[in-house]
Amino acid sequence: MHLSNIKILNKITNKKTTFIKTGIFSAIAACWGVILVGTFLTFN
Amino acid sequence: MEVFLPIAQVFVSPIEILLLSALVGVLSGLFGVGGGFLMTPFLIFLGVPPAYAVANEANNILATSVSGSTTHWLKNTLDYKMGFMIVIGGSIGTALGIYTFTYFKDIGKIDTVISLAYMYILAIIGTLMLVESLGEIDKAKKNVVERKKLHVHYWIHGLPLRMRFPKSKLYESVFTPIIIGLAVGFIAAIMGIGGAFILVPAMIYIIKMPTRLVPGTSLFVTIFVSVIVTFLHSFNYGSIDLMLVVMLVVGSIFGVQVGQKLGEKIDSSGLKALLAILLLVVGIAIAYDTFFAEEIQKEISKVAIADLNFFSKFILEFSKDMPFFYGLFSILFAVSLGIAAAFLRRFLSNFRKKYFIKSAK
Repeated sequence: MHLSNIKILNKITNKKTTFIKTGIFSAIAACWGVILVGTFLTFN
Repeated sequence: MEVFLPIAQVFVSPIEILLLSALVGVLSGLFGVGGGFLMTPFLIFLGVPPAYAVANEANNILATSVSGSTTHWLKNTLDYKMGFMIVIGGSIGTALGIYTFTYFKDIGKIDTVISLAYMYILAIIGTLMLVESLGEIDKAKKNVVERKKLHVHYWIHGLPLRMRFPKSKLYESVFTPIIIGLAVGFIAAIMGIGGAFILVPAMIYIIKMPTRLVPGTSLFVTIFVSVIVTFLHSFNYGSIDLMLVVMLVVGSIFGVQVGQKLGEKIDSSGLKALLAILLLVVGIAIAYDTFFAEEIQKEISKVAIADLNFFSKFILEFSKDMPFFYGLFSILFAVSLGIAAAFLRRFLSNFRKKYFIKSAK
């Protein structure tokens, strides 16, 4: 396989990992958002 | 098919409870964490009032920790001296926890406090576990070997009154295990959990005990903490329902054995991320239930005593007439079930080795 093809494959894999990580961290942020907003609204 | 719980005064499906407790048992056997912080929210979702869910889950934890601890005792992987030091702190923490529980129960806010505590604890543990497991997966992919410091000293290591713990080969201040026990006991009393998720990391990273002694000692401490929690809940509020306890214990003891066997065969580090996601999902579900769901009055069923079966009638009268002995009975019941499960497991394991493995050779 050509070197340029390997580079493209690596780039795609890296982008996929970044995409998954962003998804997970946004899910965590959403979870904390629900909890904190809920607590704030309840105690207000 | 539904069964009426005479103390909690609700109808529940025994199949649902058995399946859920077995599932939580498998998870706790697989990952080495007690299932309390998953099972109590599940009980609440099934309609058991939070104050009853906490008390009965504590009794269930007693049975599973007796079972696990007996197995470790048979393998001689238990540090009794360290365990007793943590239990001293645990007893004080439990008493403080029950005092706090009583305060919130008196002002009528106990259900909200339990839900809030679960929500935050699950979200914190879920986030930490997810971040850690993602980091581990990342490191494994890149083949990074991290060099750790041999000794990290915190303020807790500078405390006075040091003593030797020969089994763990440690020279530590007595205050270190006592302070850790205090935190665990307090949380266990309010939330009806064993506290292994605090105890295990604290034993490894703060006390620095050898890893092989950690699970047994943690379970040993959990026995005492859950005995105190069960007894105080039973004596103060009469909230232990033996019907529910039987279902929980049977399901979770079976599940834990399956989980431990699975853990020996598969690498659970990759599954850690899944457990973390499950914790976050349960946390969000509790948040939704507490903050945004319509106020649905939980169905408190009034069933005439005459309509109850013999077992339910016996439990109800026993708990009302003799709360002290009822508490004692619940503890002995859970302890004996736990010991029986441990010996049964050993017997089956020996039997398998003797006949099946021999015949395979």
